[in-house]
Amino acid sequence: MRAFYFMKIDYIMTRKQLYFIPFFCLLALVIGKNAGMEDMSLLVACSYLLFMSTIFATTPFAYSVGKNREFLLLFPATVTERVVGRFLFGLSFEGVLGLFCFMIVGVNMLIGVKTPLWMLGILLCGCAVGIITVTLEFLLFYLFGEGKDNWQYLSNIVRITPGMALFFGSSYLSAALEKAMASDMGMNLEAMSGRLLQAGVIAVAVALLLTAAAVAICVKVIEKRDYA
Amino acid sequence: MELLEVKNLSKHYKNFDLKDISFTLPKGYIMGYVGANGSGKTTTLNLITGILKGNEGEVSIDGLSCEKDARGYKEKIGYVGDDCYFPAHFKIKHIRAVLKDFYPTFSTDQFNSFIRNWKLPENKLIKDFSRGMKVMLMFASVFARDTKLLVLDEATNGLDPVMRTEIMKLLQEYVMDGERSVIFSTHILSDLEQIADYIYFIHGGKTVLYDAKDELIDNFLLVKGETAKIPSALKKELIGLDEKAYGFEAILPSDKAELLGGEFLFEKPTIDQIVIHYITSQMPK
Repeated sequence: MRAFYFMKIDYIMTRKQLYFIPFFCLLALVIGKNAGMEDMSLLVACSYLLFMSTIFATTPFAYSVGKNREFLLLFPATVTERVVGRFLFGLSFEGVLGLFCFMIVGVNMLIGVKTPLWMLGILLCGCAVGIITVTLEFLLFYLFGEGKDNWQYLSNIVRITPGMALFFGSSYLSAALEKAMASDMGMNLEAMSGRLLQAGVIAVAVALLLTAAAVAICVKVIEKRDYA
Repeated sequence: MELLEVKNLSKHYKNFDLKDISFTLPKGYIMGYVGANGSGKTTTLNLITGILKGNEGEVSIDGLSCEKDARGYKEKIGYVGDDCYFPAHFKIKHIRAVLKDFYPTFSTDQFNSFIRNWKLPENKLIKDFSRGMKVMLMFASVFARDTKLLVLDEATNGLDPVMRTEIMKLLQEYVMDGERSVIFSTHILSDLEQIADYIYFIHGGKTVLYDAKDELIDNFLLVKGETAKIPSALKKELIGLDEKAYGFEAILPSDKAELLGGEFLFEKPTIDQIVIHYITSQMPK
């Protein structure tokens, strides 16, 4: 339960960035529409959202320095609860923005725009990659950055680089898929819809398992540090 | 019955070592933890609050240690630091919500009453609070819940005399039931004269003096006189000899009083004077 309280503290600490989320959601739709890839606009929009979520998710680390770190350390809780709380914050961001991606699919269906099933599979895989990216960022923060006040520059790189790679990587993938759709492979993707959907679900499950493993590593590392 | 027990506590840094700190603080008493800047006061208090981990030694509060039961241990502590630890862009409502989550004994009514009485602004960000307001907010947050040990690190610095007097009164009320204690580091030694029962004096990370305040005062004499008249046997025993144009001032262990003869003036020192002379004695000549 106290892990949720730590997540709540992270939300209060970073509450200003929450005001920007609707703006980024709209921006994602605009970027998707202007990507010049009619069928892939959804993928471009979602990859942009995932990119943003990997940056937003790590904001609490920027606040957890100096006296603010003391504030967190004073609470009656275990290291595990503190670390899990931070991961819950990161995952909740992925969850909310992932949900928005699927809301777009829902709205598209309501207005009669068909979303192929294989694309849902790819979206789920994208969410899994987002979760793994955030997990990797958190792991780097806990292993090298958390608690160190002079880690600012490196932390900016850790915050932005994986998300950028995710965005450009998925944009490249969208373009490749657009080409494939124009060729015979489009038919193959339709045929593989069921498997792609299964792969998406498995990818999300594997990503969550990797997150659990990362939490365990971070707890061990923090327990050995010179602050409690 | 001891509330706080510190045994052989050590912490090693690159440029500083806190060595072998040991003391006990009984229930219902206030301890003044004194020393110069950089002597290890904040390090010790951070080790007690669990913000830091020691390299050696043990700390327990009411028999609980942070390693064995971090939750139970930290629930017993109320901490007020020299600098506000609440995030700068929090408001009072955020602090209230967070404290209510974490501390089962937190009383919203009591907290609100402190906020009202001390006229702390509900709608301002903490970063816009004055130093005094920040300190009072930290005090409100710890007085509004059930704690056993108050750890104050230079907490009254920067408060106006009226506020300081009020805090001193609250601290005395806090220990009045005989179940709770306070450990208090400050540079304002007159505050300690007023309320401390025990004094722990640390210098360069090592214990210098540790005793009940009244005994500590009884154990020393403040000696004044003409420098030229100090016999060598006495000079060796004087601590923190401060030579001035009009004479000298130093402290002397009371059991060496026979060395004074009839040549010098002496009186009971204040804690302030004992500490200053000890620190002077450690400085390179």
